[in-house]
Amino acid sequence: MSSVPTAAGDLSMEPAPGSLRGSAAPPPIELQAASDNSRRRKLYSRLFYILCVLISLLSVVVLAVLLASITIQGQGMLTWQLLTGSHSELYPESSGMWPSIIGSIAICGICALSALPLGIGTAIFLEEFKPKSKPLRMLHGFIQLNIANLAGVPSIVYGLLGLSLFVFMFNVFGQIQVNESAGLELMGVKRYYQVLTLAGDGHTVLIPQDDDAEPTIQIDQPVIAVDDQGNEFELSLWEIGTPRPTDPAEKRMTVRKGAIGGSYARTNWSYFRLPFGRSFLAAGLTLALVILPIVIIASQESLRSVPPSLREASFGLGATVWQTVRNVSLPAALPGILTGSILAMGRAIGEAAPVLVVLGATVAKNSGPQNMMDNVVTMPVLIFNWAGRQQATYQELAAAAIIVLLVVLLLMNSAAIYLRQRMRIEA
Amino acid sequence: MTTLPSQSPTMSNAPRSDSDRDARDEHRADHQTTTAGGTDRLAADDGQTRQVEDTGHPCIRIADFNAWYGSFQALHALNLDIPRNQVTAFIGPSGCGKSTLLRWLNRMNDIVPSAHSRGVLTLDGIDVLSPSTDVVNLRRRVGMVFQKPNPFPKSIFENVAFGPRLHLRVRRGELEELVEWALRKAAVWEEVKDRLHSPALGLSGGQQQRLCIARAIAVGPDVLLMDEPCSALDPASTLAIEDLIYELRRQYTIVMVTHNMQQASRCSDRTAFFYEGKLIESGATQELFTKPQEKRTDDYVRGRFG
Repeated sequence: MSSVPTAAGDLSMEPAPGSLRGSAAPPPIELQAASDNSRRRKLYSRLFYILCVLISLLSVVVLAVLLASITIQGQGMLTWQLLTGSHSELYPESSGMWPSIIGSIAICGICALSALPLGIGTAIFLEEFKPKSKPLRMLHGFIQLNIANLAGVPSIVYGLLGLSLFVFMFNVFGQIQVNESAGLELMGVKRYYQVLTLAGDGHTVLIPQDDDAEPTIQIDQPVIAVDDQGNEFELSLWEIGTPRPTDPAEKRMTVRKGAIGGSYARTNWSYFRLPFGRSFLAAGLTLALVILPIVIIASQESLRSVPPSLREASFGLGATVWQTVRNVSLPAALPGILTGSILAMGRAIGEAAPVLVVLGATVAKNSGPQNMMDNVVTMPVLIFNWAGRQQATYQELAAAAIIVLLVVLLLMNSAAIYLRQRMRIEA
Repeated sequence: MTTLPSQSPTMSNAPRSDSDRDARDEHRADHQTTTAGGTDRLAADDGQTRQVEDTGHPCIRIADFNAWYGSFQALHALNLDIPRNQVTAFIGPSGCGKSTLLRWLNRMNDIVPSAHSRGVLTLDGIDVLSPSTDVVNLRRRVGMVFQKPNPFPKSIFENVAFGPRLHLRVRRGELEELVEWALRKAAVWEEVKDRLHSPALGLSGGQQQRLCIARAIAVGPDVLLMDEPCSALDPASTLAIEDLIYELRRQYTIVMVTHNMQQASRCSDRTAFFYEGKLIESGATQELFTKPQEKRTDDYVRGRFG
């Protein structure tokens, strides 16, 4: 408080140095006052410095507290079992997160494959192709404005967009209902009729299905069937009233005449259908929407930081825009683009809300995705689920899973820093 | 300088009276009548027929040329002929439009969205400004060297090979020959021949600028545009570049923007003086510096302003 009057006193002196300009008179300020002033200025500078240090320490302290509390809570569960096992309702202490690690990596892979080319391409369009015509310039400005807006949209909104765009595709390809229609199946699926054999232990054979529309088949004559190993053989029939075959091997290749077979779809890794349903493909694409604005803005920034003189040099030699982008701008901007992209991927791997909306709250899976249309568990969803449970074991598991997630994020961020440093040295 | 055709408007019209403003207006009116109703295309054809008739025709013709950045008019009704295989220097105070004109000569201003122009600008009869003119081919014929040395962050070899690679599919051997030729031509070969594959950014400023000249001539241009090529260099490097420019003019038509009047007088054959977007005076360097026709030119070359 005491410094305020002095400050006012100083202010009142201000006209005096102003009058100096006109006359050659000696400064009417006493030397003592000037030195007081300098002492106070130094004091303020020092206070400001301390304030800055305190503020930056605050964020570090928050992080440290978070890490410490999680480590204390989760260290007991930080075992090999956590990394290799899968979720268990009955035995929480033997639960693990292997399927969710695989699931997160799969989703991030899809996300990177779709968001990076799109994002970098958009950034190149916005930065390197400056249109001259009026409508194109307006389009340019429109896109630029929208990207800035999109970056601020909450991720759960993207989740809802992904739900109608990728999961249901506005129902234009039909709805996916269990055991009925499966939308528009394009590849990787083979339909069979499943028929019980005479083996008696629930053993079945598969008969390739010719007519997709026919949900059942009645076996009246010998047909070609497929056994467990995928070998084709001629199915023999047994008519009621005739003697049953006794050889177990033969029993497994025989069905009762008139038996009814139900439809059964066997999918392989390349299974692809429209709409995507609650699949990791849909989740990956949704996350791509979430990080697309971030990737675009980061790539734009680093393209903008390429010295214009390099671009001019290239154009001056008669390079086309593409040649300039390919040979000059993109190589120079690549470290920045990569860093921004990896940071965006870090955001994607930690997102829970859009994944929850798109995939539902599935946690009970014991493997990664079997095909592109398979549902997955991701780390944030698993943590969300575990952390909300009553049992203390699950709470500890959640803390341990958070540590694993943080380690994965840390690895990605260090990869970004390493890449940037290496490319800077090379350049 | 004597090869200029007599009908060249600027030369013949080098204002004689003291009331230079009137003279220039008169001249502008003259010019408007000669090209009245004529489109760029017509003017280009005109240039072409002259090329056939007269072997001593100028390389670049600029007639009634105006240029704008947005609504700001940077150049006003310029008329200038630039002769072949000579060094033409553009001088004038900062912001007088000399760099703008230079950048229109190879359509470098296409990068600037707000830049537009009107008038006639022909290079060997080719209409430079026409939208149908292939900018890539134009820039191949009109190389450019910039104010600050701007080698690519690649090796010395890659820098020189960059241009040829853009335009042609060349074998490695041919490329090596071409690179050596260009580096020798730019008088930097002896200094870099042992480290062709080390980064170009490791060279000194003067070496980098000569490398940029080598890079420009490796594409095989007819015209070299130099935008204050020595302004970022020390005196020794400047001298080396000036010598090089003097050598190169045998083969190339060189247009050079410079702030340095000594430089203009040392290494140019012709000089054009610009002031506030207008061409005040142009002519043989010797005459312009010793017997300027215009008061403002006189003031400028004597260092009274600018």
